[in-house]
Amino acid sequence: MSPVVLAGIALITYASRAAALVFLRKPGGRFAAILGRMPAPIFASLATLSLVTADGSLARGPILWAALGALAASSTRSLPLCLVGGLAGYALGQALS
Amino acid sequence: MSRRSAHRSPGVVRSIVATTLPAAAAILVFGSLYGAAARPLLGVPLTIASSLLIFSGALQFALIGLLGAAAGASALLLTAATLNLRHLVLGAVLRSRLAGSGRRRGALAFFLVDETFGFAIAAGDAAERAGRSGEREIERTLLVSGALCYVAWQLGTLIGLLGAEIPAVGEAAGVIFPVLFIGLAALACRMPSDVARALGAVALTAALAVTLPDLRALAPVVAGVLVALPGRAA
Repeated sequence: MSPVVLAGIALITYASRAAALVFLRKPGGRFAAILGRMPAPIFASLATLSLVTADGSLARGPILWAALGALAASSTRSLPLCLVGGLAGYALGQALS
Repeated sequence: MSRRSAHRSPGVVRSIVATTLPAAAAILVFGSLYGAAARPLLGVPLTIASSLLIFSGALQFALIGLLGAAAGASALLLTAATLNLRHLVLGAVLRSRLAGSGRRRGALAFFLVDETFGFAIAAGDAAERAGRSGEREIERTLLVSGALCYVAWQLGTLIGLLGAEIPAVGEAAGVIFPVLFIGLAALACRMPSDVARALGAVALTAALAVTLPDLRALAPVVAGVLVALPGRAA
């Protein structure tokens, strides 16, 4: 990869990050309502992606146990407690495997 | 202490740092894996430059995979454009909650990655629930967590380039991301319909990742948009 291609990729990446943040007018009405509903599904989707490997199979057992631990703690709506639940799940998964 | 000065206290920054640290530690580990994998393909200067300028783990690992398969410049650029599409949606979601000047938002945009987006949205929601400005909290969180994740990615890249290994923590670091995003999803669910949308996104993402693995990077955007569309205007 040449430095020029690297610069092009960096430019594309920054432009994609800045495009909406800089040039989009502050949304209102239905568009704002739709955007407001998106964070939870996006996070849930990112969590799912991290549990499915690139070849379409499920992640290893301890990682699934970690996800279960985090899910069990999610009713607390506390990020630190979800982390603790996830790590406890991972430890349990390691012990069981 | 006034509400304004309390809002500016170092305690707020410390809280953001504490929240971000587990993700930053995982990013450091993945940065070291990237540095080690990229060195033979890119050399030291370009590996460092790639992390400094791109700052995107998913994209940089994809580029390494393509370079290993002797892909050309057009494939690299096309992959970058495709994988970065989701930033448009993440940026639009943040834009709806941010004011400030375009220059300010443009500077913050450099730190927009999945993790910092999550921390910023969660911090904005928490501030609004506490009767404070969500916009200020989102800005501050994006800046502080973004800087921390950026430094972690650079340090990790350097560690990998130096040939040092962080043994046996690769999988443990990988645990952080699902746990983090499950926690962020829980925080973002404010009503039962949010839970239903999140579950819908899980099903759509799983289906997309299994049936069209090449497009898995787009799943969060596709699923997020599709499940957010139904509903009333406000």
